[in-house]
Amino acid sequence: MKTRILTRAAVAGVAAVALLGSAACGSGFDDSADDAKQSSGPANLQILIGSSGDAETKAVKDAAAAWAGSSGNSATVTPAQDLTQQLGQALAGGTPPDVFYVDAARFADYASVGALEPYGDKVSKPDDFYESLRTAFTYDGKLYCAPKDFSTLALQINTDLWTKAGLTDADVPTTWDQLTAVSQKIKAKGQVAIALGDTRDRIGAFMVQNGGWLMSKDGKQPTADTPENLQALQYVKSLLTNGYAKFPKQLDSGWSGEAFGKGKAVMTIEGNWIKGALQNDFPKTKYKVVPLPAGPKGPGTLSFTQCWGIAAKSKYKEQAIKFVEAMTAGEQQIGFAKAFGVMPSRQSVRDQYTSAFPADKPFIDGVEYAQGPVNAPKMDSVLRDLEAGLQGLATGDPKTLLTNFDKNAKAALGG
Amino acid sequence: MAVLTDRPAPVARRADRGPRARLNRFLGYGVLIFFGLVFLYPFVIQLANSLKTEPDAAANPLSPLPDPLTLAGFERIFAGTAFPLWLGNSLLVTVLVTLGRVFLDSLAGYALARLRFRGRAGLFAAVIAVMAVPGVVLLIPKFLVLKQIGLYDSYAGLIVPLLADAAGVFIMKQFFESVPVSVEEAARIDGASVFRTFWSVVLPMARPALITLTILSFQGSWNEFPHSLVSVQDPDLFTLPRGLADLVSGSLGKGTQYPLKLGAALLATIPVAVLFVVFQRYFVRGANEGADKG
Amino acid sequence: MATDTLAAPGTAPAGPPRRRPGGIRSNENLAGWLFVAPVILILGLFMLLPILMALWVSLTGWNGQGSPFTGDVPFVGGDNYSRLFTEDGLARRDFMTAIRNNIYYVGIVVPVQTVLALGLALVVNNRLLKGKGFFRSAFYFPSVTSSVAISVVFLFLFANSGAVNRLLALLGLDGPEWFADGRGVLHLLLGAFGVDSPPAALTSGGPFGLTWWDWLSGPSVAMTSIICLVIWTTSGTFMLMYLAALQNVPVALDEAGMLDGASRWQRFRYVTLPLLKPTTFLVVTLGLIGSWQVFDQVYVMSQGDPAKTTLTPAYLSYRTAFRDFDYGGGAAISFVLFLIIIAFTLFQRRLMADRDGPRRGRWWRRRVPEGS
Repeated sequence: MKTRILTRAAVAGVAAVALLGSAACGSGFDDSADDAKQSSGPANLQILIGSSGDAETKAVKDAAAAWAGSSGNSATVTPAQDLTQQLGQALAGGTPPDVFYVDAARFADYASVGALEPYGDKVSKPDDFYESLRTAFTYDGKLYCAPKDFSTLALQINTDLWTKAGLTDADVPTTWDQLTAVSQKIKAKGQVAIALGDTRDRIGAFMVQNGGWLMSKDGKQPTADTPENLQALQYVKSLLTNGYAKFPKQLDSGWSGEAFGKGKAVMTIEGNWIKGALQNDFPKTKYKVVPLPAGPKGPGTLSFTQCWGIAAKSKYKEQAIKFVEAMTAGEQQIGFAKAFGVMPSRQSVRDQYTSAFPADKPFIDGVEYAQGPVNAPKMDSVLRDLEAGLQGLATGDPKTLLTNFDKNAKAALGG
Repeated sequence: MAVLTDRPAPVARRADRGPRARLNRFLGYGVLIFFGLVFLYPFVIQLANSLKTEPDAAANPLSPLPDPLTLAGFERIFAGTAFPLWLGNSLLVTVLVTLGRVFLDSLAGYALARLRFRGRAGLFAAVIAVMAVPGVVLLIPKFLVLKQIGLYDSYAGLIVPLLADAAGVFIMKQFFESVPVSVEEAARIDGASVFRTFWSVVLPMARPALITLTILSFQGSWNEFPHSLVSVQDPDLFTLPRGLADLVSGSLGKGTQYPLKLGAALLATIPVAVLFVVFQRYFVRGANEGADKG
Repeated sequence: MATDTLAAPGTAPAGPPRRRPGGIRSNENLAGWLFVAPVILILGLFMLLPILMALWVSLTGWNGQGSPFTGDVPFVGGDNYSRLFTEDGLARRDFMTAIRNNIYYVGIVVPVQTVLALGLALVVNNRLLKGKGFFRSAFYFPSVTSSVAISVVFLFLFANSGAVNRLLALLGLDGPEWFADGRGVLHLLLGAFGVDSPPAALTSGGPFGLTWWDWLSGPSVAMTSIICLVIWTTSGTFMLMYLAALQNVPVALDEAGMLDGASRWQRFRYVTLPLLKPTTFLVVTLGLIGSWQVFDQVYVMSQGDPAKTTLTPAYLSYRTAFRDFDYGGGAAISFVLFLIIIAFTLFQRRLMADRDGPRRGRWWRRRVPEGS
């Protein structure tokens, strides 16, 4: 009796071990990225987005629902708190979402490891996307994914605080020298002049204004260690050490827009996303947008863009492409622009956009002189090293920063 | 938990009175109260600021009195975040993991303490060795295994790896070894099976150790963060610590929102706090009873 | 980690069960294995197997796509390890920065929490004070709460205009911008003595890709706030360990000291402290092991920022794998960290065992289980 129970239990135990063991072998050794089985018919698309806020989440959810309804598929939109991490784990875990935002700065990483389906040419009129955006999402000569939208940086000025500091419209800075001059006046009134994000995505704009940039034109060679870049960083360093500019963390804020909205700084340098954020979180803040002050070598700004990536492992590539097609249609892009303040990636609706949002002229004008992000693979840790240096710029040596970047970038790109 | 017991106070001696003793006592209370504030006031600040408006929290972080008092932070927790979902996941994981650990650890602890079988010494040494493996070193390895056996991004992946822990096995083994052998031998001579002896005779005697293990398991799995970080990525499977961490290191535009974050952290702390208060008393009482008899 | 060991000091020493011949135990072989099977299965599958898999991955250049166990994955041998130690580059500098940060972290956390725990235990153990039970619970309570939840609270406390800086302001001090301040504390101290710029001798070179000046930075201001948090949460646990030991100090010994006319300090120094040596050993070892694993707080509070001064090896390994898709490099860092922790444990044991002389063997055996 006893023995029988024990024997039975033993058999069950062994069976369980065998089951787990076979599972261990079964799922691991035969998954390759290329031959994901395709399913036709109604799809259930999983869409992962790195949302800028509730407005964007809602707009994308609504648009996805509308597409799902009219096409007979279903689509689930999930906003990620930390898109890079979540996507990285999902890709490595073998369970990626079908469609997801891909930032231009991370694009090459995904494309180079074969995680992305290169579907760019299957979307209608790919040439309608701005050329700089297409370049950002081209890897090995193939356009991988359709640009979602784009943004550029401009200068925001809190008009109430501006007036309070005794400044007028005539004082709006258009050069570095003027920027220094008004900052000095603002500081004399006991205010912080500029809330400046402590990343390359803000400080880099000063390099562009001085005719420099981190990478060569073709994006293959690091070019950080130049007199232009050095001078730019020295200028930013002087803003920091004089107390004219402060990083968001110094202002008890998560990002510059928050510091600006709270009135902790009179000016900030952010992109067009700041509109929606201020409207939501700080509706009472009155401000205006002007182009970034030009540097010694003329105007300069940075542009940012994301694309709709489709997973190489998706089972519904066909349907996913149709979904992206719908999301990047001109009308839909204007809809998104109205909902959360991004600029359409298709040139054909540029005029429509400018007439709808005349106040955004400084942003869209920026496209003429904007520098796109670094888009080479394996550069993320190099860029982060640069950012660590930028965080300590006030006390650090700009020259060391730049030479380190070149050294690290060469190692990353060569290897 | 035996460490929480009070030693019965010896008869007061002459040195306990007099001005010198009074000064010492005064200093002693001073130290106690100072550190009491250091250890507890952060929780007071947390509670108070979770009930403040955001400008008030930013302007008067030290004040224990919200002015004005508002539940807006808590309303936003339930309306604007997936808090209820995280709570549900945390409860599910914690209950299952606690049950699993208490049962499986005591089974193994009993076997290692009492049953004679080939390889026992080796197994015990292995358990000891496993206890020495630092948890954070296993982040990437655990992810690899979960992915490989298809448990990644599932409730099973969140729960199964936590179902047994070496420290629990060790606690139970130590305990069972301190129980007199005579009782179970009587049961065994009466013809009860090994499992029946364990289940109906030995386990009921292990109440103190089982409570200890339950508390440790509950507290451990409720607070578990790194494992949930590498075992799931689907927000529907987030537990409280994971959700909280994402809320804090959250994306652009979320802002600081301290009342909300402090409130969510407070709610995540309450279950363990309740457990702590309840069982603290239980242990102290039990210990005092023992002291009275002795 | 630390709480897992709570029950250990209090459990009775184990005597070996008596061996009994006869039929009653005839099926114990099977039953024994069945009883331990679930635990062995889980621990084997999620502790042992993972380590072996990760060891393999640390020898490859797996990028997170597909399975790491196919022929497509490039085998790179010891490259991931040599990048951490011998090749001059970003990987080594990041790793060494993380090591430096953690050394300072350990160097402050372990002594301070040990002394604080002992002090609290002595006060709470004082026979003359009432309400000790309440304070004992109060000191211990932070230890049982969620590290993530507590980190949220400390983010608020250490905000620029937060509670800590308000307190400092009451004392007439101007608090720093805690989480934005990557300046090393030692550098700041030197600055206070007029050494504003580093001497050239220290910036020109140094071991493992960092200059001597970098190595000598001390913990950054941001790291200091994490150090405060950790000391605050763990001291209570270690206080309980000291308390258990203090309750085992024979009263007679103390009284004998009193009769000899020894002062309070002398009695503590020459009677109590030596008796607490095993506990001190335990507390220091557990502290060392625990503080090399700091991860949750870094993840929630600073993510290595500002300027990498709160980067720790544990967090770096996570980030390298899951954010940079360099799973091989991440796994390699994990293994080095593993070795560091084990090495510290063994070294510490050796040291204490030598001092203990004749009791050497005993400490070795007893400490193994508790030192987890």
